[in-house]
Amino acid sequence: MSAARTADILTYVALIALGVFFAVPFAWLISLALRTPAEVYLGAARFIPSEPTLANFATILSDPAFLIYLWNGLKLSAAGGGLAVALAIPAAYACSRIDFRGRGAVMVSLLAVQMISPLVILVPLYRWMNALDLLNRDISVIAIYGALGMPLAVWLLKVAFDAIPRELEEAAEIDGASRVDILMRITLPLARPGIASAFILAMVMNWSQFLIPFVLLERDADWPISVAIFNFAGSVSASTTQLLAAACLVAVLPAVTIFVLLQRMIVSALIAGAVKG
Amino acid sequence: MTATSERAPGQVHPAPWLVPAVLVLAAFYAVPVFDVARLAFSDASLVDPATEVSTAAFRAVLSNPALPGVVATTLLFVVVNVVALQILGLAIALLIARGERRELPGMAAFRTLVLAAWVVPGIANGLIWQILFDEAPYGTLNSILGGLGLGPVAWLSDPQMALVSAVIANLWQGTAFSMIVLYAARRGIDPTLYEVAALDGAGPWRTFRAITLPLLRRAIAVNTVLVSVQTLNTFDSILALTGGGPGRATEVLALFTFNTVFYNLDLAAGCVLALLLFALGMAFTLLIGWLNRGASET
Amino acid sequence: MKLNLLAIAIAASPTVLGAQDLVTRNRVGLPDAPNTLTFRLTAYDLYSTDQDTKAAFEELFSEFIEARPDWKIETQLQTGNIGQEQARLLQQVRAGRGPDCAMIDSSQLAVFKNAGVLQPMNAVFSEEEVADLFPYVRDAITDEGGNVLAWWWFTDLRVLYRDTSVVPDAPQTWDEVQVAAEAAVEEGKEGILFNGGRWEGTAFDWLANYWAQGGTLVDENGAPVFAEGENRQKFLDAVAYYQRLVEAGAAPQRVTSITDYDAFNAAAAAGTAAMFVGGNWQYGQLRNTLPEEDFADWAVSELPGPTADQRATGTGGWSIAALSDDPEKAELCGEIVKEIYAGPGNAYQGLLPTSEAIYERYDAYDGPEFELFAEALQNGVARPGAEIYPEISNQIQILIGDVLSGSASPEEALEAAASAVQAAYERQ
Repeated sequence: MSAARTADILTYVALIALGVFFAVPFAWLISLALRTPAEVYLGAARFIPSEPTLANFATILSDPAFLIYLWNGLKLSAAGGGLAVALAIPAAYACSRIDFRGRGAVMVSLLAVQMISPLVILVPLYRWMNALDLLNRDISVIAIYGALGMPLAVWLLKVAFDAIPRELEEAAEIDGASRVDILMRITLPLARPGIASAFILAMVMNWSQFLIPFVLLERDADWPISVAIFNFAGSVSASTTQLLAAACLVAVLPAVTIFVLLQRMIVSALIAGAVKG
Repeated sequence: MTATSERAPGQVHPAPWLVPAVLVLAAFYAVPVFDVARLAFSDASLVDPATEVSTAAFRAVLSNPALPGVVATTLLFVVVNVVALQILGLAIALLIARGERRELPGMAAFRTLVLAAWVVPGIANGLIWQILFDEAPYGTLNSILGGLGLGPVAWLSDPQMALVSAVIANLWQGTAFSMIVLYAARRGIDPTLYEVAALDGAGPWRTFRAITLPLLRRAIAVNTVLVSVQTLNTFDSILALTGGGPGRATEVLALFTFNTVFYNLDLAAGCVLALLLFALGMAFTLLIGWLNRGASET
Repeated sequence: MKLNLLAIAIAASPTVLGAQDLVTRNRVGLPDAPNTLTFRLTAYDLYSTDQDTKAAFEELFSEFIEARPDWKIETQLQTGNIGQEQARLLQQVRAGRGPDCAMIDSSQLAVFKNAGVLQPMNAVFSEEEVADLFPYVRDAITDEGGNVLAWWWFTDLRVLYRDTSVVPDAPQTWDEVQVAAEAAVEEGKEGILFNGGRWEGTAFDWLANYWAQGGTLVDENGAPVFAEGENRQKFLDAVAYYQRLVEAGAAPQRVTSITDYDAFNAAAAAGTAAMFVGGNWQYGQLRNTLPEEDFADWAVSELPGPTADQRATGTGGWSIAALSDDPEKAELCGEIVKEIYAGPGNAYQGLLPTSEAIYERYDAYDGPEFELFAEALQNGVARPGAEIYPEISNQIQILIGDVLSGSASPEEALEAAASAVQAAYERQ
């Protein structure tokens, strides 16, 4: 038993070392967010502010625009994540349940889509959206998020579908149910954790997207927080680092909350998939 | 292969199932992607439209004396990051899995901390790490090292060290993804395998080599592909941390592309670089697939 | 849903109630005014996170629009990401979706001028007003035909800051800087700090040393000439000045990682640096940051040159330009600059005006530092209005990083920079 105890201690030692690595930057972010403008210029010279203040959070949260940016961010990333999953479900189902010749090719070309970074197609994308008259509409950003998130979602969902025994579907098929019926009534409910985790991962990745909404949405009232946060990045004559830090902390919170609430589900979904793999 | 829904599983035509995905990709993605390829063979700038078909942009990009250095920096950055991300992600995943098996408290909190770093906006990442790496006499990391009688380290001013620092900042943000994938894969391993190993008297290292690593191989391969592509396209955190400097020490291909389009307004050359980025990504994917060809058959 | 939320949020916001109801988040003026001008601006005045600044500009804008009841101004915010904003604005103008009037960083003016998208605002500005501008400002905003294509409404410059308790007398030459810095290092300080990392500030601040010798970056056709003829030696001399400072330890090695003026404020606050090359706006920041007795030790002086009478300083700032080809809108755009920004806006924010007359008009410019700034501005040099400038700057940043970190000799680095700039120039 004492060997296991020793191992427990070693586990903690390792986790604490890693924990410091991950926590220190946050500690700095908090330190900056609690400073007055004068203390911000002290930079790294003073870690604990001598006059800590919550005024930066008050400024951020009392700015009606900030809440709108947060809401835009949530709306765009959730809708984009939802679209990615909606597109991925039939594709993943086909890859999981139907043995067809180009299946490997389909999976690889999806990875190829994943490889095209938004940076690479940004300018043509702007022109194309302009030609479609979709600039300044949420739908343009949502569609691109959907396309960007879909490959990963297909991969995750295929794994989730693979884990569901085919026998369950075959039983329903004998009863004369159609493929679509089976998918809706049997497979999807069973794959719920997988769907949820694909959705959440897609959403979280959308949450930090900068370039796409920056280029496709021109009005600041449409911006998600990931773009609007640059407003707090200072100016020629004044540093607003303290506001930027507070804004970053507030912007991280929704995503962290989702993780905390749903991580059990994400993890169990991934495990379910991995058992089979 | 005829499309009838009455057939047994495995004999349905896949096309209708793939239509929604293909349709959205075609509607919103296909035109811009082909446009990139077209513009690469043009003389377009951000201001002026293309007026001719030419390979001048290709020649200019490929003959740029800075390109080999940028590509080398990129490969180094990606390879080091990918290896480190796997090791760190795997270490954390295994530690947490062990902690949970032993029902040690604090595992969920630790996992949340790692995940939180993932969603910090890129600009904040650069801001924070700049303060940590600050080489002023009062800089954070150097003050800590000084207290231990070490350092000072030229975190960002030394060309070689600056790349290491950029990797560290990227690891901070990127580990979460590897951790999730590998943690799930580890939890998916049948516990009875470990019980058998324990009965055979296998030590932790042998258990790791004989059971954990082989069974995680597929997850590691997939993760490697996804992480390489993500790392290859990373530029915002480097832009905020070093801007690519000192000199070109941390200028990776994605940042080089960004500078070409947004500062030089050279759209055609930017599109050539975009194709190069894509080709590198594909090469990484195929290489990893090839290295892993044995495991993918399971 | 979104619009409702926006309306509720704005109605609930205390800052836009009462006398300010002519100004909403995205509009100045009454919603049913027949004519609309779209105006893209930075986040530093009407959208400022500082409530007092915001209120002051809301007041200025309200007065402006009350005098023009037929108009409303739709405001569009731009982020602080200058490079990306510039590219986006060019894209939008090309697609016919640009704003009617926009703030443009002075360093980007040339690109917009050359793209032919700026519309003259001649009707608003008299010849005397144009003549009263500092010469580098006048050159940048007018074309050959004398058209006023933009109005550069505030400027900034680089000066040498020193802690007089360590360096009592202002160094006038490069050699004096090195001597003073080495003496400060003896006392345990960092001798002199300057931008040396990979960002625009590095090239811009350093260029003063090149300009002080009469060097030029481009010829009258906009072709790069910094590595040719007499320029070449001037360029190498200015690089050698920085290189000597670092090699002698007068400047710490870490300058190659400095990509932010705030780093100098931090060093001043920590009391670890004796001198730094900073911007004029930092004087006010130091006053607000340092304890009074420490601040009293800090003084500003003109940037040193190779000799005491060869001086220059880089000048930046922001301009406002009309992008609409409707002359009425271009005129209104000019009037916004004239009545709001170049004058009361300058004075409120303590930004340096671009003409003598305004310094005399406002009390805000009575401090002794402004006398020095105005004097140093006589040697002000703006970045060249050439399309190739961004690449020249990029190559200078790379060159300084390589030379100061010992990765390349000045000659090698200059060769590499010159051929890279030439290649980029040929692609334009």
